[in-house]
Amino acid sequence: MAGGTTLRESIKEMKRLKNEPLLLVAIVLIILLVGYFTIWPVIKVISVPQASDYAQLFAKRRWISALKNSLFMTVVSTLSCTAIAFLFAYVVSRLNVPCKGLFRFVALLPIVSPPFIVALSYILLFGIQGIITKGLLGLHVDIYGKFGLWIVQTVTFFPYAYSVILGVIQKISPNLEYAAYNMGATRWQVFRDVFWPLCRPGVAGGALIAAVNVLCDFGNPMMIGGDLALLPTEAYMQISGWYDMNTAAVLASALLVPALAIFVINRFWVGKRSYVTITGKEISLTPLKPPAWVKWGLFSLTMLVSLFVLLVYGSLALGAFTKAWGYDWSLTLNNMRYVLNKGGQIWNSIRFGLLASLGASLLAMVLAYIVQKKQVGVNRLLDFLAILPGAIPGIFLGIGFVMAFNEPPMELTGTAAIMVLALLFWNIPTCYSACTAGLQQIGASVEDAALNLGASSFVSFRDVILPLLKGPFMSGFVLSFLRSVTCLSVVIFLYAPNTIVGTISIMGLVETGQWGSAAAFTVTLISIAFTVLKVSQVVLRRQGIRLEL
Amino acid sequence: MCIKRILAILMTIVLVFGLTACGGGSTNPASSAPASSASQSAPSTSPASSASSQASSRSSKSNKLVVYTALNEDDIVTIQKEYKELTGIEIEYIRLGGGDLAARVQAEMANPKADVMVGGSVDLYDPLGAAGAFEKYTSPNTKDIDPMFVDPNGYWNGWYMGVLGLVINTERFDKELAPKGLERPKTWDDLLDERYKDVFVTSNPATAGGGYIFCANQIFRLGEEGGKEYLKNLDKVVHHYYKGAGDCISPVATGEFIVGMSWVHDIFKTQKQGYPIEIVIPEKTAFEIGGAALVKGGPNPENGKAFIDWLLTKEAGELNRDIANRYSVRKDVAAPQGLPAIEEVDLVDYDRAKAGDMKTTVVEWFEKEITANRG
Repeated sequence: MAGGTTLRESIKEMKRLKNEPLLLVAIVLIILLVGYFTIWPVIKVISVPQASDYAQLFAKRRWISALKNSLFMTVVSTLSCTAIAFLFAYVVSRLNVPCKGLFRFVALLPIVSPPFIVALSYILLFGIQGIITKGLLGLHVDIYGKFGLWIVQTVTFFPYAYSVILGVIQKISPNLEYAAYNMGATRWQVFRDVFWPLCRPGVAGGALIAAVNVLCDFGNPMMIGGDLALLPTEAYMQISGWYDMNTAAVLASALLVPALAIFVINRFWVGKRSYVTITGKEISLTPLKPPAWVKWGLFSLTMLVSLFVLLVYGSLALGAFTKAWGYDWSLTLNNMRYVLNKGGQIWNSIRFGLLASLGASLLAMVLAYIVQKKQVGVNRLLDFLAILPGAIPGIFLGIGFVMAFNEPPMELTGTAAIMVLALLFWNIPTCYSACTAGLQQIGASVEDAALNLGASSFVSFRDVILPLLKGPFMSGFVLSFLRSVTCLSVVIFLYAPNTIVGTISIMGLVETGQWGSAAAFTVTLISIAFTVLKVSQVVLRRQGIRLEL
Repeated sequence: MCIKRILAILMTIVLVFGLTACGGGSTNPASSAPASSASQSAPSTSPASSASSQASSRSSKSNKLVVYTALNEDDIVTIQKEYKELTGIEIEYIRLGGGDLAARVQAEMANPKADVMVGGSVDLYDPLGAAGAFEKYTSPNTKDIDPMFVDPNGYWNGWYMGVLGLVINTERFDKELAPKGLERPKTWDDLLDERYKDVFVTSNPATAGGGYIFCANQIFRLGEEGGKEYLKNLDKVVHHYYKGAGDCISPVATGEFIVGMSWVHDIFKTQKQGYPIEIVIPEKTAFEIGGAALVKGGPNPENGKAFIDWLLTKEAGELNRDIANRYSVRKDVAAPQGLPAIEEVDLVDYDRAKAGDMKTTVVEWFEKEITANRG
């Protein structure tokens, strides 16, 4: 397709917007908001270094290998994250097995761990002197390097992919599978040719979110990476270790390139194919049962991963109640006493998290709807805007926010608003992927019917799409909330004395070697986050909305 | 109907921002106060000295002070309490790691929120001073202090010292290395013994300030050739190079490794938690200077100056020594408990200017000769 034609089509599409003033207003507002709160801060940061600083990027051996390592780790960790996420999602949604509650819980746990703190747990359990590796199995395993990092990143980031994939699998009705099966396809063929293609948008969306998270991960490589140089750690350490903003900004910009590439590849893979499963003619059947050996095989695998995660977090929980985590395991309540004095910070964490994730999921939903269901000529731009914040390392979004919003007309530094806004825009890609994956499955016919009967874009959005999107919307919301509560990188440059949040304290404690108090703080934060979710689940159920955890 | 529709979509978007604005609004009153006073005083400080007296007359009534600090949480809390009792001035603080702190001060330069930056190596203060983030201020109390702790450019005031040292896990050392005939290392050269292979960790000079100072330390100690030779030989026993100097401590404390190189005051903090570790200060070690500087255009400049003056007093030096185990720059303040007097610590002749100049080449050399050969 020639560029000229697409442009002409785009313009034609834009002209049609005249008949939909609301849609036009919404689009303009969204472009302005996202542009102002993500692109503007990024431009502020990127314009710090000179061109000559950028030229250095290819002159230094370390950074070239950092780029290579980052790409390698992103590919391998994303593959394993997506595979495990698919396994969990499949087992939870399609198999009739026990312990599903446990699996759901395990698939959320790693999201709520602030950086650094869990890494110590891994070292204590699986390090050279690890309780499991050396003590129990008598192995000499060196986890510092690619292999160890791969395992840790897989466990840390598969939940991001899981929640997106689950949202999609739950929406796939088994009718088609029965049809194929009844016509003589084997169970494997049904899976491969019917079920799997239907999962693809979800798998792709999940993989995208996992990949971006792996790419921008700096907490795990700091402790587990050994000598491995990776872009986000190098960028972070240029600030933290050297206070070299120029170099840090250059490295962060270098990170933007692969992040955007992930986005393009993802769009290419999902392609133009659409797999519609919500067609308006809904019949629900119990899913096709796989053979027993498959069922229990998958169950055991899921159980194995779950036990691994539980072990890691169990050790963390134990650390919260011991005198010197990793050395003196005698029990104490001193660490918890410390946390009790920090109630205000925990309240800030929850408050900012809720506001930010509510905002992010609403904005992302409108955005996803317009991109997926409306031909408005700027779909690609909107899609790009929605996913862009995910490609910006949190720490740079934070610095960018300080630089961009520290003077009139938007003087926000030191306020709670800047914390909420930064977390909000940082979470948009998470919510957007969830909603997009959900929307891709809703057939055009459903909405066409509404439109033909006289509904406007807005009414069909509210009355047709919204109810169908509840699941993805809520999973995006939950994910963002958990991410916000445990986010450190974005808020580190934004907090003020009265807007301090829990993760800031945790970082301070880790820096001063107070691992016990840090573990106690983390455990408290995790428990409160889950309590908040549980309460909202109960409240929502009364309203007739099911919130999957 | 059209109006209704517009209202409805607008509501969706307003809801998003209305909520966030509420969140912002509800907690703002306290923090917006310094912000507004800062924006008032910012234009008045730019015409330099003439306006500074005006600013001071206004802020002399203020009993607030905003401190951006790289000290430990516990330590700044103690200082906050002590200073309030002494002067009645209320300290508000933000605590971050040294580099993060500097980045924040620079990012806020257009509209500073802090009065003083306190703690962290003066190596971080130099580029900030050059970038125009600080007001020149040399405290009168620096007259009692060795000139090497005072910024020749007039921005920072050195008030404490940190030295590089070794953290040793005594339990594992006694169980595994002592039977092999090793004694606790006393010098940097002792580490070259191959029995330390894979149980020693340090940090990478490309990412860690302390890691670089360690390399410069060896070059100042042994000459350029000798220093590089030393680093190459040491590489044979290093298990891996952590990305931050402080990252070495916890793994040694929990017994993952036996010996690590880091800042002594940081090791001390972990030691206080009850881990079986010991601190060794090797002969001819390097040091960093902990700084304090006045932020340009801060809301309470007079209080900031008074605070820097106080940091340089004997009392403050003793307080900081007792809570943080750091050496004071004042000769009349004794060494931290359990550590040798600073005269007894055999310091290397550390040339800060030269260390700064050769950083790029040393790091590049390290990358090529050492890190490149690792996985």
